Amino acid sequence: MSDEEHHFESKADAGASKTYPQQAGTIRKNGYIVIKGRPCKVVEVSTSKTGKHGHAKCHFVGIDIFTAKKLEDIVPSSHNCDVPHVNRTDYQLIDIAEDGFLSLLTENGNTKDDLKLPTDESLLTQIKDGFAEGKDLVVSVMSAMGEEQICALKDIGPKN
Amino acid sequence: MQGFTAPTTDFTELQSTMRAIEHACTSIQMHINPGASEAVILSLGQSSQPYKTCQFILENSQVATARFQAAAAIREAAIREWGFLSADDKRGLISFCLCYVMQHASSPDGYVQAKVSSVATQLMKRGWLEFVPAEKEALFYQVNQAIVGIHGLDVQFAGIKFLDSLVSEFSPSTSSAMGLPREFHEQCRRSLEQDYLKTFYRWTQEAASSVTNRIIESDSAVPEVKVCTAALDHMLQILNWDFRSNTSETKINVNVFSAGVRQDGDSLKRSECHLVQPGSDWHDVLILSSHVGWLLSLYAALRLKFSCEGYWLDCPIAVSARKLVVQFCSLTGAVFLSDDGKMHEQHLLQLLSGIIEWVDPPDAVSKAIENGKSDSEMLDGCRALLAIANVTTPYVFEGLLKSMRPIGTLTFLSMLMSEVIKVLMTSNTEEETWSWEARDVLLDTWTAILTPINTINVNALLPSEGIKAAANLFGFIVECELRLASATAFNDEGDSDYLHASVSAMDERLSCYALIARASIDVTIPLLIRVFSERVGHLNQGRGIIDLTETLEELYSLLLIIGHVIADEGEGELPLVPNTIQTQFVVNAVEADKHPVILLSSSIIKFAEQCLSPEMRASVFSPRLMESIIWFLARWSRTYLMSSDGIGEKILDSGHHHEHSSKKALLCFFGEHNQGKLVLDIIVRISFIALTSYPGEKDLQGLTCYQLLHSLVQQKHICVHLVTLNSWRELATVFSTEKTLLLLDTAHQRSLAQTLVRSASGIRNSEASSQYVRNLMGPIATYIVEISSKSNFKSIAQQPDILLSVSCMLERLRGAASASEPRTQKAIYDLGFSVMNHILVFLEVYKHESAVVYLLLKFVVDWIDGQITYLEAQETAAVVNFCMRLLQLYSSHNIGKISLSLSSSLLSEAKTDKYRDLRALLQLLSSLCSKDMIDFSSDSIEAQGTNISQVVYFGLHMVTPLISMDLLKYPKLCHDYFSLLSHMLEVYPETFAQLNSEAFAHILGTLDFGLHHQDADVVSKCLRALQALASYHYKETGSGNIGLGAHTVGHKDSSGNVQEGLLNRFLRSLLQLLLFEDYSSDLISVAADALLPLILCEQGLYQRLGNELIERQPNATLKSRLANALHTLTSANQLSSSLDRINYQRFRKNLNSFLVQVRGFLRTM
Repeated sequence: MSDEEHHFESKADAGASKTYPQQAGTIRKNGYIVIKGRPCKVVEVSTSKTGKHGHAKCHFVGIDIFTAKKLEDIVPSSHNCDVPHVNRTDYQLIDIAEDGFLSLLTENGNTKDDLKLPTDESLLTQIKDGFAEGKDLVVSVMSAMGEEQICALKDIGPKN
Repeated sequence: MQGFTAPTTDFTELQSTMRAIEHACTSIQMHINPGASEAVILSLGQSSQPYKTCQFILENSQVATARFQAAAAIREAAIREWGFLSADDKRGLISFCLCYVMQHASSPDGYVQAKVSSVATQLMKRGWLEFVPAEKEALFYQVNQAIVGIHGLDVQFAGIKFLDSLVSEFSPSTSSAMGLPREFHEQCRRSLEQDYLKTFYRWTQEAASSVTNRIIESDSAVPEVKVCTAALDHMLQILNWDFRSNTSETKINVNVFSAGVRQDGDSLKRSECHLVQPGSDWHDVLILSSHVGWLLSLYAALRLKFSCEGYWLDCPIAVSARKLVVQFCSLTGAVFLSDDGKMHEQHLLQLLSGIIEWVDPPDAVSKAIENGKSDSEMLDGCRALLAIANVTTPYVFEGLLKSMRPIGTLTFLSMLMSEVIKVLMTSNTEEETWSWEARDVLLDTWTAILTPINTINVNALLPSEGIKAAANLFGFIVECELRLASATAFNDEGDSDYLHASVSAMDERLSCYALIARASIDVTIPLLIRVFSERVGHLNQGRGIIDLTETLEELYSLLLIIGHVIADEGEGELPLVPNTIQTQFVVNAVEADKHPVILLSSSIIKFAEQCLSPEMRASVFSPRLMESIIWFLARWSRTYLMSSDGIGEKILDSGHHHEHSSKKALLCFFGEHNQGKLVLDIIVRISFIALTSYPGEKDLQGLTCYQLLHSLVQQKHICVHLVTLNSWRELATVFSTEKTLLLLDTAHQRSLAQTLVRSASGIRNSEASSQYVRNLMGPIATYIVEISSKSNFKSIAQQPDILLSVSCMLERLRGAASASEPRTQKAIYDLGFSVMNHILVFLEVYKHESAVVYLLLKFVVDWIDGQITYLEAQETAAVVNFCMRLLQLYSSHNIGKISLSLSSSLLSEAKTDKYRDLRALLQLLSSLCSKDMIDFSSDSIEAQGTNISQVVYFGLHMVTPLISMDLLKYPKLCHDYFSLLSHMLEVYPETFAQLNSEAFAHILGTLDFGLHHQDADVVSKCLRALQALASYHYKETGSGNIGLGAHTVGHKDSSGNVQEGLLNRFLRSLLQLLLFEDYSSDLISVAADALLPLILCEQGLYQRLGNELIERQPNATLKSRLANALHTLTSANQLSSSLDRINYQRFRKNLNSFLVQVRGFLRTM
C-alpha cells in the first residue's frame, strides 16, 4: 500500500460533482449514464432516426449499478445526457462488526467504518466466508451520486 | 440368413428383446422414464452382432418406432463391425433390407421404409469397393425387377425410392459418416457415376413412360401418379448429380463459368446456377430418345385436362414435372453433339415452346394469380428462363422466341419483369409475395445475360432489340423505385431494423439494376441525368415552402442507383471504370465535359457541394441524404477520382483509340492535372462538414470515416495531393489541437487517426513525413503525459469528462499505431515510446475501469504489432521490459479478484471484459514471438541479451493463471491461447523444459482440456504441441541429453499423490481418445503424428497398455485380432524408429488401418 497522503473530499462536496453533461452520441456500451435519476451501466445502445430524414436518437438500456434494475431512455444523439461520476476505491478488510458494518483500512492508514454489509444473501456469503477463512481481502467499493456499495473482492495473500 | 453365428438363436429370447425395445420406444414417446428407455434402445445398436435380433423385430413387431430403431441398430452395428463380418453376412444384410423394403412396399409407415432403404444403401456403399460387379448386379437385379413393375405399383414406387436413397448416399454432400477417409467416398462416387447412374436413369425413365398413358387417359386420380411422381423426382435427383468425368470436354463458348479472368468487375453472385453437364455418354438417353418431348407432352396434357382446377398446379406430379423441365433447361456441354450448337438450340426451343404458356402474356398470368391461381407455375417459368440464360449467348437467347412469336426473348423478358415489378410495387412490401421471388429470379436472369465473357466490345453482347428492351426496363425500374421511395418517405416503423436486415439484399438488387442499365448505357445515363436534375430542381423550388421529405427520399434512392450504375464496389480491389462506360460513348477530346457520365458526376458533386452552406444543411441536407452523398462519393472516388488506371493510357491509346477514348476522357477530366484536385478538395470539405456539423449522427460519421476517407488514403497518388490541400491541413489541425472532434464516437476517432497518419505516405520527403506524424499526434501524446503527471490525477481520473478525453486519446493512439508503415515507423515508435511509462500509470489508476484497461491493452498490442520487426536491439529490450511490467501489473490487479453484483447481466459483462483483456494479452505475446521470425533491424537482439522465448514463456506464466477453464469456453480466446501455446511448444520446447513444476502443471492442464475440446482446430493444435514435445524429448535423449528431464518421471504432488510423468500421461490419454471417444476423422493424421513419438519415448508403457487392452477382450478371436492389429500398427509398411517425414507418413497409414480394424469391436458395450 502506498504511503502517499490523500485528502478525501468531504461528504458535503460529493453532490456538487456527482454528474457531468456528455453528448448522448458519445456514450457507448460499457459506459455510464443517469436514467431516471439512477446511475446505470449501459448494456445496450441502438440508434434510430426521427422519421427517415430526421436526426438520430439513441436508445439506451442501462442497469442500475446499485439495485440491478433495468432502465431505458431515448435521447436525441446531439443532446447532452447526465453521466454519473463513478468512483472505485480499494480498502483492506479488517473486521466485520456485530452490527453489520465493515471496518476497512484506507490507503492513508485511517479506518472507514460507515459501510454496511450488503443484504443480498449471495454477496453476503461471499464476503463473510472469505473473511472467516482468514484470507487477506481487499474490498473494492463503488460510489456514485452519494451511494456506495462493494463491487469486488480480491484475495491478496495465502491462507493463514 | 444361413451362416450367421449370432449368439442368440432362441425364439423366446428374441421375443423378450423385442418386447423390451417396443416398451422402450413407447415409453420414450410418452416421456416415461426417458433416460432408461434411451439406454435400452442404444444398447441394441451397441451390442455385438445384433442382426438376428434386429431382423426379428423388423419382421414381427407391430410397433413402427421399434422397427425403425431396429433398422438403425443394424446400420450402427454393421458399419462398426464391417471389418470382420464375412462376405456372405454382408451381402445377406443388404439383401435382407432390400427384400424387406419390397415386401412391405404397401406399408403405411413411410418412415420405416425410408430408414430400411437408407440402411440398405449405406451398407451397399460400405462394401462397394469390395463387391465384384457380379455381386452388385445380383443386388440390383432385385431393384430392376421392382422398377419394371413386375410386382405391382407399390413395389415399383419402393424400388424408385430405393434408388433415390442410393444416389443420395453416394453423393458427397449427402453421404453418411462411416469412419473412412474422403478418398473412399470419392471412389464410390466415381464408380457410381461411371457404371450405374445412366442405367438407373433409363430404368426410371421407362417406368415413368410405362404409366404415362394410364395417367393421361384417366379422368380421376389413379395410383400410377405416385409412381410417375417418384420417377420424375428421381430423374431430377440424378440430373442434380455433380458430374465430373466429362468436364474437360465442356465447350468453352457456352460455359459461363470458364476459368478465364473477366474483363471487368461485373461478376455477381448468382442463385440457382447449377449447370447439368453429364457428358456425351448421356446423349442417347437424354437427347435422342425424345425424352424431353415426352415430358412436355405429359405436362401439357395434364395441364389442359385440369385447367379448370386451380389446385392442380401445386400437386406433386405437376411440381416435379416442372422442376425437371427447368433442369433440362440447364443441360449443356458434350451431351449435345458438336454441331455449332444447333442441337442445343433445338433442345431449348422445344423446352421454351412448352414453358412460354406458363408465363405469357405476363399481365394475364399475374391477373389470374391475383384472382387465386397458384403462382408456382409462373415462378417455375421464371426459373426456366434463368436456366436457359445461363447456357446460351444473348444472341441465341434472343432468337429462341423469335421462332415462335414476333418479338424476341429479351423483349419478352423485359415485359415480364416490368409486370412483376408492377405487381411488387402494388402489393404490401412487408410480405414476400411471389412477385418478390420472381423479381429476384429475373434479375439473376438479366445478370446471366449481361455478364460478358472474353469480350470488350459490348455491341457483340446484345442484339439491338435487346438493348432497347433493357433501356425500357431500366426506365421502368427507376420510375418504380422512386415511386416506392416517395411512398415510404414518412414510414419509420422498424426502420432501423429493416434497413440493417435488408441492406445486403438491396445492394445486390441495385447491382443487378446497374447491369441492366449498362446494357443500354447511352440511353440510361441521360435518363439518370434528367431524373436527378428534376429532383434537384424540385428541391430548389420547394425549399422553405413545402415539405421536402418525399423528394429527399427519392434523391436518396436515386443516388444509390446511380452509384451502382457508374461504379463497382471493388471488394478490396480498386474497381475500374465499367466496360460499357469505357467503350460505349464516342467522345471528341475537345468536348470531354459533355460526356454524359462526366455530366452526371459533375451534377452530383455540385449538388453535394451545396451542403457546405448552413442554410442548405438546415433545409435540404438531412442526415440520411448526407449518408447517401457520402456513400456515393466514396464509391465514385474509388473509380474516377485521379485514377491510377490512366497511367497506362499512352500504351493503350496507340492501338485502340476509338474503344478507349471514353475511358480516357473520363479519367483525364477527373485526373490529377484537371478537375481532380478541385473535386478532392470539395470531398474533403464535405467530409469535414459531415464530421462536425451533424452532431450525434453516428451512421453518417461512420460512413465518412470508414468508407470515404478510408478509401482516399488507400491510394498513394491521392495522398500526394491530399496533404497539400488547405482543407486537409485544417482537418488535421482540428484533429490534433481542438476539441471539436472529441464529440465523435471513439471508434471513429481511431479510424480518423489511422486515416490522417496514412496520408503521410503522400509526403515525398521521409523526414517531412515523420514530422507530419509528429505534428499530428504529438499533442495527443502530450495530453497523455501531462494529465498522468498531474499530482491530483488519481482523484480526478474517474470523472466522466476526463474518462471521455482519455478514451478518445487512446483510441487515436490505437489508430495511429495501426497505420504504421516503413517511412513513418520511427515517428510512431517515438510516439509510443513517449507514452510508455504513462500507460503503466494509467493501468494502475484505471484498474477498475474495464473499458479503459481494454483500450490501453489494445493500443499496446497494435503499437507493438506494427513496430516489433523494425526495432533495434536496444529498442527491443526497452519494449520487452515494458511488456513484462504491463503483464505484471495487469496480473497483480486481477489475480484472485471476484466481481460482486446483484445483476447477472453486469456479472456477465465483467466476465466478458476479462475475456477481452486476456485475448489482447495473448495477441501481445504472439506479436513478440514474431520478432524471432521476422526481423528487419540491423543487429541481433542477442546484443542486448534479450531472449524472446523466455520473455514469452514468462508472459504466459503470468497470463495462464488468469485463464480459467470457464474463460476457455470463449471460442476466440480458446483459439488464441492454443495457437500461441502450440507455437511456443513447437518452436521452443527446450525453454518449456525449464519451467517450474507449478507453471508446467498448469499448462499441461490446459493442454489436456484442449485435447477434449469440441473444436477440431483446437484439438489439432494441442496434438501438434504434443508432437513437438515428444519428438523433442526423443531426439534429445537419443543424443544423450536430458530432454524434458524431470517432467517425464513421476512425482508426488502437494497432496502426496503420485502423478504420472508427462509423456506417460498423454500417451494414455491419446490412446483413450483414439480408441474409445468421439472425434472428427480429420484429426487422425495429426493424432498419428503425435502418437508416434509418444510410443517411441514410452515403449514400455505402450506395451503394457496394449497388453491390458488385449486381456480385456471377451474371447480368443478378438484377442487375436487385436494383438495382430497392435503388432501391425508398429511394424507395417517398413515402419522404423526414426522421426522423419517418410516414417510419419507410414505411421499415418498404419494408424488409419488400425482404427478401421479395431474400433468396431472396442466400442462395443
